[in-house]
Amino acid sequence: MPDAAYLLPVSLLLGLPFAAFLIFWLGGKGLNKIAGYAGALVTAAGLGISIFFAEPDVLHTVRFDWLVIGSFPIEIAFRFDTLSCIMLVVVHFVALLVQLYSVSYLHHDRNLNRYFAFIQLFLFSMIGIVLSGSLLVMYIFWELVGLSSYLLIGFWYHKPRPVWAAQKAFVLNRIGDAAFLTGILMLFYYIGSTDFEVLSISVDSISPGILTAIGLCLFGGCMGKSAQFPLSGWLPDAMEGPTPVSALIHAATMVAAGIFLLARISFLLTFDARLVIAMIGMITMVIGAIKATSVWDIKRVLAYSTMSQLGLMVMAVGLGSWQTAFFHLTTHAFFKAGLFLSAGSVIHAVTPSEADDQFDPQDMRNMGGLRKALPVTFICFLICASALAGLPFFSGFLSKDAIITEGFLWAGKYGAVGYIFPVVIMLSAGLTAYYMTRQLWLVFFGEKRYHISHHVHPHESPAIMFGPMLLLSALSIFTWFSWNPFDAGSGWFMSFIGVIEPSHLSWVPIAATVVTLVSIFLAYRESKAGNPFHIVSEKQTWAKPSFSFLLDYSNEKYFLVPFAFIAELCKKIEKRSIDAFVEFVAKGSVVLAHVLSWSDRNIVDGGVKLTVFSIRSAGQSVRNLQNGKIQSYLLVTITGVLLLILWLVTF
Amino acid sequence: MIDHILTLLIAIPLLGALAIAAWPDNRAQNFRMIALVTMILEFLAAVTMYAVFDHSQSGFQLSEAVDWITLPIGSLGVVSIDYALAIDGISFPLILLAVLVLFVGLISSWNIEKRTRGYFSLYLLLSGSVIGCFLAQDFFLFYLFFEFMLLPMYFLIGLWGGPRREYAALKFFIYTFFGSLLILIVMIALYLSAIDPVETARAVGVLGLEDIATKDIIIQLQQWLVEGKIAPEQLVHTFRFAYLADAGNYIPGSILSIVSDFYILDIPVRLLAFWFLFVGFAVKLPVVPVHTWLPDAHVEAPTPISVVLAGILLKIGGYGFIRIVDGFFPVEAEYSTVPLAVLGMISIVYGGFNALGQSDLKKMIAYSSVSHMGFVLLGIAAFTAEGINGAIYQMVSHGVLSAMLFLLAGVVYDRTHDRKIENYRGLIHMMPKYTVLTGIAFFASLGLPGFSGFVGELFTLMGAFQSENMPVWIPALSTLGIVLAAAYFLWTYQRMFFGSFWYKNDNSSHSTTHVLTDLTTRETALLVPLALLALLLGILPGLVFDITGPTVAAWIEGLK
Repeated sequence: MPDAAYLLPVSLLLGLPFAAFLIFWLGGKGLNKIAGYAGALVTAAGLGISIFFAEPDVLHTVRFDWLVIGSFPIEIAFRFDTLSCIMLVVVHFVALLVQLYSVSYLHHDRNLNRYFAFIQLFLFSMIGIVLSGSLLVMYIFWELVGLSSYLLIGFWYHKPRPVWAAQKAFVLNRIGDAAFLTGILMLFYYIGSTDFEVLSISVDSISPGILTAIGLCLFGGCMGKSAQFPLSGWLPDAMEGPTPVSALIHAATMVAAGIFLLARISFLLTFDARLVIAMIGMITMVIGAIKATSVWDIKRVLAYSTMSQLGLMVMAVGLGSWQTAFFHLTTHAFFKAGLFLSAGSVIHAVTPSEADDQFDPQDMRNMGGLRKALPVTFICFLICASALAGLPFFSGFLSKDAIITEGFLWAGKYGAVGYIFPVVIMLSAGLTAYYMTRQLWLVFFGEKRYHISHHVHPHESPAIMFGPMLLLSALSIFTWFSWNPFDAGSGWFMSFIGVIEPSHLSWVPIAATVVTLVSIFLAYRESKAGNPFHIVSEKQTWAKPSFSFLLDYSNEKYFLVPFAFIAELCKKIEKRSIDAFVEFVAKGSVVLAHVLSWSDRNIVDGGVKLTVFSIRSAGQSVRNLQNGKIQSYLLVTITGVLLLILWLVTF
Repeated sequence: MIDHILTLLIAIPLLGALAIAAWPDNRAQNFRMIALVTMILEFLAAVTMYAVFDHSQSGFQLSEAVDWITLPIGSLGVVSIDYALAIDGISFPLILLAVLVLFVGLISSWNIEKRTRGYFSLYLLLSGSVIGCFLAQDFFLFYLFFEFMLLPMYFLIGLWGGPRREYAALKFFIYTFFGSLLILIVMIALYLSAIDPVETARAVGVLGLEDIATKDIIIQLQQWLVEGKIAPEQLVHTFRFAYLADAGNYIPGSILSIVSDFYILDIPVRLLAFWFLFVGFAVKLPVVPVHTWLPDAHVEAPTPISVVLAGILLKIGGYGFIRIVDGFFPVEAEYSTVPLAVLGMISIVYGGFNALGQSDLKKMIAYSSVSHMGFVLLGIAAFTAEGINGAIYQMVSHGVLSAMLFLLAGVVYDRTHDRKIENYRGLIHMMPKYTVLTGIAFFASLGLPGFSGFVGELFTLMGAFQSENMPVWIPALSTLGIVLAAAYFLWTYQRMFFGSFWYKNDNSSHSTTHVLTDLTTRETALLVPLALLALLLGILPGLVFDITGPTVAAWIEGLK
């Protein structure tokens, strides 16, 4: 098909969700009942369009002139290629399932029309990112994704914590975006365009040092959206939003946008830039995995796990293989969305039927032994967790091994120090298996601890909820991606995204499996201990009583201290220096005026001279009126106006 | 009519002001109606101007020029002051913005009850002066309007303002008057140093009184000027912008001559004059550190005056930078790129940090204005086509958005006479429409793509990156401004609008919460069009860039 024919899918893919957003949003609460199904229908149409127009290995671009400024025209460009094609399918598919799930999960909510409107707004922006043909267009939709994420995290606006978490997410993302924008503007300066096609041709014209700087600036955008250290603090807090939102936005799609960005610009990342990216990814991966082993909130465990997996993908890009990162992104999207939806089902099941402030339905210490009450949820959770933990025969195993393999190959070329990367991935994979076993045990095995509240009666979710969960767990099986459960390279996916000679090290799957099994065993042994996972310990409270601005933004000192210092300094400068100076001048003038007026009264005005002086000066002024000096004309005009005004204001 | 459309634009509000001042009876409703009719006429005149304006042309259009004062003053040559008006792509969008903002301000003045005669006639006087500033093509005329603006503003804040209005009005007056003084000094120096080549040619006798000057004659005359062949008595001094912007018109050996070797304290006089002018306009813009009048003036000013102040008065500072500071001293401007850009950067970041620290809603918005106007300075300092276009766009965008923000702040102040952010919580439960519109205004102001704020920031920053004289770290650090904007707007939004409803009353006269009613029809009718305009400009920035583009391109070409 010619490029022009792609105008239709672009306008439909973007237009449909946007129109749905406007209708749901402005349509009012009357749409509460149908918005979910209507939204799902729109998304299903989008899914159909994305599959119908999918044409791998062929690039189609659609361009519009936006404006001409200064020396160059600025275009809005959209592009269809293999990457966007896969992303479109993933985004639409997960969104479709999540919307169906939400219909039941949130059926009691009063503002359901707004919820589905914001989901559509999110889809509009996310599809915009996927289709964007230039970095500028991507940035525009990038920000809009930030907005929809803000609106969805803060959906329960009557509670203070979700709104706070929404704002934290937006601001931390903005820090990354500022760097992203700087990178874009530098590209405009050095190349004159941010169109991916133009960039891929003219990237060589920039010196490597500058290219590294640009690459790292652009990576800033990824750090924000994909929750990389040190901008990662918002992701766990984003769990304050409704659970289906966490599944869609904070597990499967939006957080993957950063990886998508890196895949798009991988050709302009220099070796140095990649090294930094790999290190950031590694730090994020390890921090996320360690934190996930100790938190009690069922969703926070998954959030830290998402952070850790995103770190893994970022690392894969840093090690030069955006394809394996993209592969992991796809498999992760399905099993993590499945985990979140299952977690939602669990929360749904243990939520007290009557309000009980003492009982937190997300705390895993209040769960246990749920596998009997929630058999379907248990199976879905088990499958998805196995995929995440990297057990053989699941999709996560394939993609994780592909990354580890790339890591060893890269280290082989780089030298001995380079082996740190793949080894740390292996260790972190062990941690992953550990915390997933811990979670599985805490939720579904052991004694039933939810009886501390009398209003908890666990029950399986309706079919409209477990249907999407089952589909997502089915997609976490290896067969969908490769027929050989131990080698991703022999599957269709890798060749689809353009890997012609897949690399394979036959000992990696074995080593990875051993690490995973050992970790699971360790976790299993811990579950048999007297106080498994320290479950009986002082309950930490997450609620923060005060809303001090800075403390809210980050729990981390490295962020806080310099920021607080600058803000305090600015306030002081404003109060003590600038205003004080003005005050000084003003007071000084008043004192001077008093001195002058004193002298005026006692010296100038003294005695008879007054009359003479007055008459003479009056004559002088009248004469001056006509002397043609500009200053006097001005003076007369101003005096005239002043008199007019005085007359007016005395009314 | 069409030939004198610009005069009409100035005359309509001034006549309206007179009509109100002279109106026989004392009923407030009459003053309101006269003011409204005046602004509608003004609006129609602006629409006519839009229809007549040729977008593709780069020069001045709709020019009107009349000799106003011509006086021979012996060896000092001849004084010549012209009543000269014209518009081009630089002033045109700002005039449209001015008419819009003044209109909005008038509608929001509807519930002013105190001394209405004075209020509305001063308001119209202010309107005429503001429009005059953008239209004037003669420095003297410009300065006249510039000063005229100051006085009604002083009284509008000082008489109709909040509790500390006198302090704020005086601070405003002293600051801007100080700025004006610096401008006046340079204006006189410029006047003494430059000539009107056409009139001089007539005085010398090479051009007949009725003849139209050709390019050759002017070049010839400028040649004679350089060679010193013209007697001082025959030199016709001028205030006309067009002549002051042409390096050929400066008298050799005069104080601001292009090849001047005058120094004061080892600083070239032209550079000094440049900085004088800069500071004069910097007070208006405002640029840190001469900005502290702004928060006080805004806090004390009544809502409509805040709208006008932020919406259009600040823009005169930016307009002055482009037309006068850069226009007459391009070499110095380019030489001073780095300090100017650093000042812009400081305004952006410093304003942002201060906005973060405010507990008064209006003060927060005022500091956000400082931050946003910093982008204007950054774009102008860049001295590139993108930068200047972006700066003009940013001014238009900020005009629309700040008008909206101050109207929104006025809504809650009208109801409770309390602007403390921490005294409100969960307003969404009482005022859902207000919450949505505030959200739109906040997100538009923090630079969300799709709204005008984003485009303004994008292109001023882009211009700064393109500038050959500006190191990359300046615009790179300025992007911190967009982070801060997100922080202070969203933090305010979170604190005032979300959570469960709660309202603490510092003001005993309004004790009940039922005063917190949602937007009235008049308020909605003011806010929604502004929001739509911000959206329209954000999606189709070409609406502004098509007007400014050709002029700015030619203007930069001419200066370099």
